[in-house]
Amino acid sequence: MINEIYNELIKEKVFGKKLQNGLEVFFLPKKDYVKQYAIFAANYGSNDLAFKLKNEKEDIKVPEGIAHFLEHKLFEEPEGNAFDRFAQLGANVNAYTNFNITAYYFTCTDYFYDNLSALIHFVQSPYFTDENVEKEKGIIGQEIMMYRDNAEWRVFFNLLKAMYHQHPVKRDIAGTIDSVNSITKEDLYQCYNTFYHPSNMALFIAGDLEAKAVFNRVEEAFAQLKIPEADEVKLMYPQEPEDIKESHVEESMQVSIPLFHIGYKDRPLGRGGRELIQREAAVGLLIDIVFGRSSELYEELYEAGLIDQGFGVDYVCEKDYGHVIISGESKAPIAVKEIIDRKILQLQNEGLSRASFERIKRKQIGENLSYFNSIEFIGNSFITYHFKEINFLDYIKILSETSLEAVEDCMQSLLKADKQVISIINP
Amino acid sequence: MSKLHTEEIYEGIRLHTVKTDKFKTSLININIQRPLKAEEVTLNSLLPMVLQRGTSEYTTSKEISKKLEYLYGAVLRGNVKKKGELHIIEFSLRIADSSYIEDKSLWMSAVELLNSLINRPLLEDRGFKASYVRQEKSNLDNRIQGRLNDKMQYSLDRLIEEMCKEEGFKLYEHGRQEDLPGIDATNLYSHYLRVMQDSPIDIMVVGNMDHSAVREGILKGIDFKEGSRIAPSQSRLIAAPSKEKKVLEELEINQGKLSMGYRVDIPYSDPLYPAMILYANILGGGPHSKLFIKVREERSLCYYIFAKLEKFKSIMMIGSGIEADKYDIAVEVIGQQLEEMRKGNISKEEMTNAKKAVEASIKSIGDNALAIAEFYYSQVISNPFYEMNALLEKVNKVTVDDIVAVAEKVSLDTIYFLKGRE
Repeated sequence: MINEIYNELIKEKVFGKKLQNGLEVFFLPKKDYVKQYAIFAANYGSNDLAFKLKNEKEDIKVPEGIAHFLEHKLFEEPEGNAFDRFAQLGANVNAYTNFNITAYYFTCTDYFYDNLSALIHFVQSPYFTDENVEKEKGIIGQEIMMYRDNAEWRVFFNLLKAMYHQHPVKRDIAGTIDSVNSITKEDLYQCYNTFYHPSNMALFIAGDLEAKAVFNRVEEAFAQLKIPEADEVKLMYPQEPEDIKESHVEESMQVSIPLFHIGYKDRPLGRGGRELIQREAAVGLLIDIVFGRSSELYEELYEAGLIDQGFGVDYVCEKDYGHVIISGESKAPIAVKEIIDRKILQLQNEGLSRASFERIKRKQIGENLSYFNSIEFIGNSFITYHFKEINFLDYIKILSETSLEAVEDCMQSLLKADKQVISIINP
Repeated sequence: MSKLHTEEIYEGIRLHTVKTDKFKTSLININIQRPLKAEEVTLNSLLPMVLQRGTSEYTTSKEISKKLEYLYGAVLRGNVKKKGELHIIEFSLRIADSSYIEDKSLWMSAVELLNSLINRPLLEDRGFKASYVRQEKSNLDNRIQGRLNDKMQYSLDRLIEEMCKEEGFKLYEHGRQEDLPGIDATNLYSHYLRVMQDSPIDIMVVGNMDHSAVREGILKGIDFKEGSRIAPSQSRLIAAPSKEKKVLEELEINQGKLSMGYRVDIPYSDPLYPAMILYANILGGGPHSKLFIKVREERSLCYYIFAKLEKFKSIMMIGSGIEADKYDIAVEVIGQQLEEMRKGNISKEEMTNAKKAVEASIKSIGDNALAIAEFYYSQVISNPFYEMNALLEKVNKVTVDDIVAVAEKVSLDTIYFLKGRE
């Protein structure tokens, strides 16, 4: 059965259906859009390094970077390369791997259904050989080297490595040169078979298309594939202490001015759903009020010449980990940290102003609305929230219902001095 | 989406509107045309930074931000960009569409804020507020030095600097450090007055409003000064040297960044220009391209490689990240692909793939308001003007012979290589 959710505020609707093989499929109609878009994603990312299968005694541990390696290799096909097929159909295809998700997507302006079945087909048909696995090691090696020269990336990962003791979010998404070199064809098949079952995946489609046809064509594409029964898999994450590992890390690189990331480690909820999105919305408002462009803190730092327009803040809220990250460039990162510390203490004592709370809420409602201009942005967000058991269309409603009290609670529980880490890259 | 509607609302000031109800927001882009010259590049770059610091109504950035937040997260930004030998000062405003927000005065409030920002700066004595200018000079100084931080872009910028030594195009869009000491609140303000009076201005508006309504709002909300606005001249094309230049630079990095610059003797006005778009696409426009297949897939020499065109200069750049000791082989394999193009070794499939890719990217412009504004602005300042469909038609008519004719006019000018210190 196809169900339908309509959001009045943003005037968008999403159709959804769960297929027999367990795959959840979603479709968002976008009238008059020239482009069509589909994203097919596995609830599987670089964090998933240890798991247990139902019929195996031993836990299975896999090399760092394997989810990303798999993403590269799925494009390989016996008759060549999946890129070729999309090129013939005028589509732009690509993929990404992050900590939690591996996603394959395309945009096109013609032959949508041919592209769609090509997407489903190549993601559901692995073809790994010793030779093609070997060849990829050189390419991924260059990708790792590229990130090593990226100061933004380094300051970010140094922060995570200092914040977390055990959690795999501290590991590089692409792995290390050594871990990548150790990956075999067998490792890839094992992870593929474990995590790429349709019941562990989701498919989201957007464009000026007809709902019935979309769902019919998806089912037709799967009818041509042999899908085995899903294996029961239990993911194993190490026990992560609540405290941070180190509060201060520095490194040198050839940059013109120091880069900094200041993070606060959050206490994870341990589950997805409504509570998670409520927390995300409340913290989202909090950090905008405290660190945003109209905040006293931003003004003080900017007037003192300690930050520029690149200063920003972000919150990551997953089921099993979370953190706030404040980032920027500064000639004196420690001075930035001290001003932040002082201001947060002051706000924790005095509370937040209702006027700024209401204003920032208006701002974020307008921002959320603007996200719906881009079908790629919608799809990407929809899939990300879906795996956290949240419907992305609900976000704007939850946001408007968030209270100042909830935001202040987050300020007390999250912005704590003993959960703070600073990472600096010096010239 | 309606066709572009253009009207000269004052002498030298044109309003261009595209009406569409596809988007949740509407967009106003004000493009001020300046010549790209050493004398003013840094002044131009500093202007939007200082203007965003305060206006006579909203005296601090914080007050401006508060107003924008209150207007449902309107976004207002000023920036500069290079278009060949033009330096464009751009102010861009995005605001929620009134069919989603109950407040019907939203658009007009936003236009008034935009006007305040560009026409009513905060002044003291006979210039801008001195402390704002001082601070933004320091921010600009950091930004120019900060070029070094993104090695991929830095390597392409350095290529252009070396390759276009004798042309205005060599200038970094954010200006030169050495100009900063000579700039103060007074001379920057005089420059500002000149810019607002003498420069051709194009206002691009994309949103769910009729041209006449937009026109009325702009005429009512924005004060333009009278002046004689004369368009600066665009660039001439320059030939490559008979023997290519090679520049090597060392930094503390792990991966070498290879950038190769080519001159293509085909100006935008040349009927062969659409073939040049296809040429670059077949060579390095994505995973179906010769460079991707030969350099990455077959030889595992890199993770990324691309060829891209600089429309107003008819320059093509190839960029890739490689191991430093693979320099010779990478340059050789890249050279072979250009040779293949010259020989016309282009399969039917390569040709159709490239045409489809270019077609999809031109059509996709219509789904992004910023891209629509950017495409049309780029069109209205070039000659000839192509509507999207007209450009598409020309691209689709290109033959392999046309590509070979383009290839004959492509010559290597400079190789820039950034490598790690040993």
